[in-house]
Amino acid sequence: MIELRGVTKLFGAKRAVDDLDLRVRAGELFAFLGPNGAGKTTTIKMVCGLLTPSSGLVRVGGFPASSTEARQLLAYVPDQPYLYEKLTGREFLRFVVEMYGLEPRTAAMRTAELIETFELGDFIDELCESYSQGMKQRVVFAAALVHEPKVLVVDEPLVGLDPRSARIVKDLFVAQARSGVAVLMSTHLLSIAEELADTIGIVDHGRMLMHGTLADLRERLQSHGPLEDLFLKLTGGLRPSAVRPDPASSAAPVAAPAVSAEADQTP
Amino acid sequence: MTHPSPNGSANGRGRSPQAALAFRRLRWRLSRNIVRSTLSGSRLRFGMIVFCSAVFWAGLFGLFFNGFRFIGIYVDLVNTIVEYIFSMFFLSLLVMLFFSTGILTYTGLFQSREAAFLLTTPASADRVFAYKFFEAVGFSSWGFLLLGSPMMVAFGITVDAPAAFYAVFLVYLMAFVLLTGSLGAVAAILVANIFPGRQKAVLGAALVALMGVGAWFAVRLLRSPGEVMSSDWLGGLLLKLEWSQNPLWPSRWTSAGLIAAAKDDWPTAWFYLRVLTANAGVAYLLAAVVARDLYRSGYSRVQGERSSRRRAAWYGLDAAFHRAFFFIPRPIRLLILKDLRTFRRDPAQWSQFLIFFGLLAFYFMNIRRLSYDVQSPYWRNLVSFLNLGVTALILSTFTSRFIFPMLSLEGRNFWVLGLLPLRREAILWGKFMFASGISLVATEFLVILSDLMLRMSPAMIALHVGMVAVLCFGLSGISVGLGARLPNLKESDPSKIAAGFGGTLNLLVSLVFIFSIVTSLALPCHLYFAGFEASQISSIVLSPERFRFWLTVAILVSLVIGVVGTIVPLRIGIKAFQKMEF
Repeated sequence: MIELRGVTKLFGAKRAVDDLDLRVRAGELFAFLGPNGAGKTTTIKMVCGLLTPSSGLVRVGGFPASSTEARQLLAYVPDQPYLYEKLTGREFLRFVVEMYGLEPRTAAMRTAELIETFELGDFIDELCESYSQGMKQRVVFAAALVHEPKVLVVDEPLVGLDPRSARIVKDLFVAQARSGVAVLMSTHLLSIAEELADTIGIVDHGRMLMHGTLADLRERLQSHGPLEDLFLKLTGGLRPSAVRPDPASSAAPVAAPAVSAEADQTP
Repeated sequence: MTHPSPNGSANGRGRSPQAALAFRRLRWRLSRNIVRSTLSGSRLRFGMIVFCSAVFWAGLFGLFFNGFRFIGIYVDLVNTIVEYIFSMFFLSLLVMLFFSTGILTYTGLFQSREAAFLLTTPASADRVFAYKFFEAVGFSSWGFLLLGSPMMVAFGITVDAPAAFYAVFLVYLMAFVLLTGSLGAVAAILVANIFPGRQKAVLGAALVALMGVGAWFAVRLLRSPGEVMSSDWLGGLLLKLEWSQNPLWPSRWTSAGLIAAAKDDWPTAWFYLRVLTANAGVAYLLAAVVARDLYRSGYSRVQGERSSRRRAAWYGLDAAFHRAFFFIPRPIRLLILKDLRTFRRDPAQWSQFLIFFGLLAFYFMNIRRLSYDVQSPYWRNLVSFLNLGVTALILSTFTSRFIFPMLSLEGRNFWVLGLLPLRREAILWGKFMFASGISLVATEFLVILSDLMLRMSPAMIALHVGMVAVLCFGLSGISVGLGARLPNLKESDPSKIAAGFGGTLNLLVSLVFIFSIVTSLALPCHLYFAGFEASQISSIVLSPERFRFWLTVAILVSLVIGVVGTIVPLRIGIKAFQKMEF
């Protein structure tokens, strides 16, 4: 459903994304990991059609990412979601429903279902300006799913959510993927990737260092520790030097192996 | 719902009507909710805005009405003069609307989070553009309505225009706004595509070029031969303004059409209305096509350019600042430096400051060309106080627009200020010093220039210098104090903060303050110098002895007003700032 082939994105002289190949299939939950400035958000924005690649191809559901058809298939939840402050949550959902051209009866059913799923009933008829960050995030998730997208792209999904809401969102990701939706999720929380993802891709300096299932990554790096160790190994050292408690007791930094993901490796 | 397949079962263009409907409903719901929440929660603010607008409208109406009656003195030239005034007025509005709509469209399309959200929906680029464009036009044209309507009503009453004139004026206004706004929007999209991330530099260059043209034009006007206000002088002036009557200017179509409508010449009025509306339609179509083809690419380019800019730190200047202001506590100096750096890196702030004060400086430099310096002491005194008043009024717009929102703009980072190892009041004093410093540098220079050009006496120059200092401290105190008392931490756009309740109140208080100071000092001077002009009213004119006494009283009164006007708002602001929870 999502396909990037040889994608490069230049910001002036800086290569934010460098010859990236990536494929997320229907029903797959892909976790995109990388340090700050690795190119995750840039990649996600290219998938959503917000940024145009400097070279390469980005397709969603077989359509160019910037096409109306691709956007019809896609739902995007950014790390800083947008809501109209002077609309109620329900009015915002209604706007999204109208924008995607859902039939009124289907839309009403779907809206009611999502209000219940995300437990929005207590505040859905209040103006969004009065919502907390977590409430806003839940409304945005509901809005993203109201038109039953085939591709769900989420940047830092759990920012601002309390543990209960976070559990709901995590369950929902899995449910979406199992129902055939391609889910691309960027996160800093390695535990989420470890817990939910079918496939994990690790990027740094705009390049895909490695991708595959967690078992694949462990096997290729000959490591059976937690994902955090794999991630730090790949992205430049077991622990950042500034916080390393005792140089004598920590393992020597391991250089990132020059493993580049290849197209079509995704299971 | 059905989804498109790559084999082509769904047509993207077919989604356009549903998106249009969704946007219409969105706008309706937003407008309804804003009106409801304004009426239920901010009646005082709403009432005050309506009241201020009404006062402003009435003031402008009076000005235009008397102006049109004054022009009636030039019986032979009255029609020509009105035509030229209208043409120049609409031409100025054309430039202002072009820039304001262009800037607002750029911000709405390329820098807002809403645009990022809308671009991920199935709405086409031209549909998103239409939605944001009409929002920008609404924001940029309300001032036009407030400025243009009293002029038109005054003109209509003066020439006894038919009732239909007032209705047709609104249609002209809409077409004119659509035409100029569309051109501004085209420019905004082209700037995003050609100079991504350099919009402020482009705007700055355009404004400097505009100022250059304006200055060149003003010099030409000032060189009109003959005595000021004489028929020769007026004839020469009109000759130099003849270019504004070029039939290709949209401002000319508007002015000619409206004048014709006012005189019941409907065939001419309809002709110009058709020309204007047809061109407005084509301009909007052009803007929509440009948006359809270039909006997405422009958005991508602007986003791509935003993260890769390095800024020169100018540490040498920082060190010089520390040395020059060694007597200010270092933490406050650092806060002032932070504000100075922000000011320097935002051309929207300093370019407006530069334009307004630059124009004033230009006018003051040409005072002798207008022969004001060889007029009687009475006139020179009057002109000097008028110049001082104008300088203070422009300074008040600067403090309301840029100083008042300073604390609000700290927004979500407010806790950083709250947690600084400083007494909170020191933060406000730092902002006050920053505001006073910039204000003093700009206005003292202007007032001294004005007085030197008017050949004022050293005593009067000293009086004006002191008076401007009082005004600078007062206006800075009001803006910093009220900015801390009435912050709007949710808003990131300084123009919207300034246009809100707090900003409006700040402007009003500033105007009252200026009026009090200028009147208290101008009054004894005026009465004294009036004796040089008209001996027949010498009974109410001050003798030199009485003038000295009353001037001393006036200075003391203005100092008291100045101190109260500076300290009280600052105290209010400090009290509120200390109680503020982060």
